[in-house]
Amino acid sequence: MEAALKAIAEPRRRAILQLVHHAERTAGDIAEHFEVTRPAVSQHLRVLKEAGLVTERRDGTRRWYRARPETIRDLQRFLEDFWDEGLERLKAAAEWEERRKRRGAKT
Amino acid sequence: MAQRPDTVTEGLEVTREVRIEASPETVFPFFTEPNKLMRWMGVEAELDPQPGGIYRVHVSKDWVACGEFVTVEPFVRVAFTWGWENNVMQLPPGASLIEVTLTPDGDATVVTLRHSRLPDEESVASHTDGWEHFLARLSVAAAGGDPGPDPWASGGTQ
Repeated sequence: MEAALKAIAEPRRRAILQLVHHAERTAGDIAEHFEVTRPAVSQHLRVLKEAGLVTERRDGTRRWYRARPETIRDLQRFLEDFWDEGLERLKAAAEWEERRKRRGAKT
Repeated sequence: MAQRPDTVTEGLEVTREVRIEASPETVFPFFTEPNKLMRWMGVEAELDPQPGGIYRVHVSKDWVACGEFVTVEPFVRVAFTWGWENNVMQLPPGASLIEVTLTPDGDATVVTLRHSRLPDEESVASHTDGWEHFLARLSVAAAGGDPGPDPWASGGTQ
């Protein structure tokens, strides 16, 4: 989630993400939509790919990009992280409480 | 020793499990008493642990989870509905269901949390802005705004 956050902190990358949300596009096609160089677009795509926000498909010498479209999976992943972190804190808090109780019972 | 909760995910629900070295009697109030709940989730909580009673937790400053208790069976299970007050992620107050089960295991308790009735592909698809909305929330967080719930900002509320 943190990598995704960093990736979309850059406005241009958000724009690229929107562009490949509904259609798979090549890096060249994407570059034509922006006034930036091809290498700059490739760099953005690399960051998006590493953050798991777009997938890359190679077709001969061309590379096709597309956003991961699964909103549901994003929601599920979000909730999984949410509850995992919550339950970790619950575990710590409840175990601390238990130790406190047991110490109290001994004295 | 901290151990990662096990991961079980099936369809449109999320199930998490964690083993806690404490009795169910110790663990249970962490879901029903505001002061104890806030030791692991949220900055403000209003809880009325009886069927139909309110469940409202400020997970962070801007994120408020809201629903009502469905089942309250001390030390064994607690269930409540859940959603976000500003309806982020297509999850309005009370929309989804969370069932927590406490199973004694020696001196420990296995806590199983099942989050179900989550929106399906179809209902999300009917909201064309679903993905964009989610992206917008991420953008706010990325820009240094309140990122909302803890998963985006490890180490507690902001």
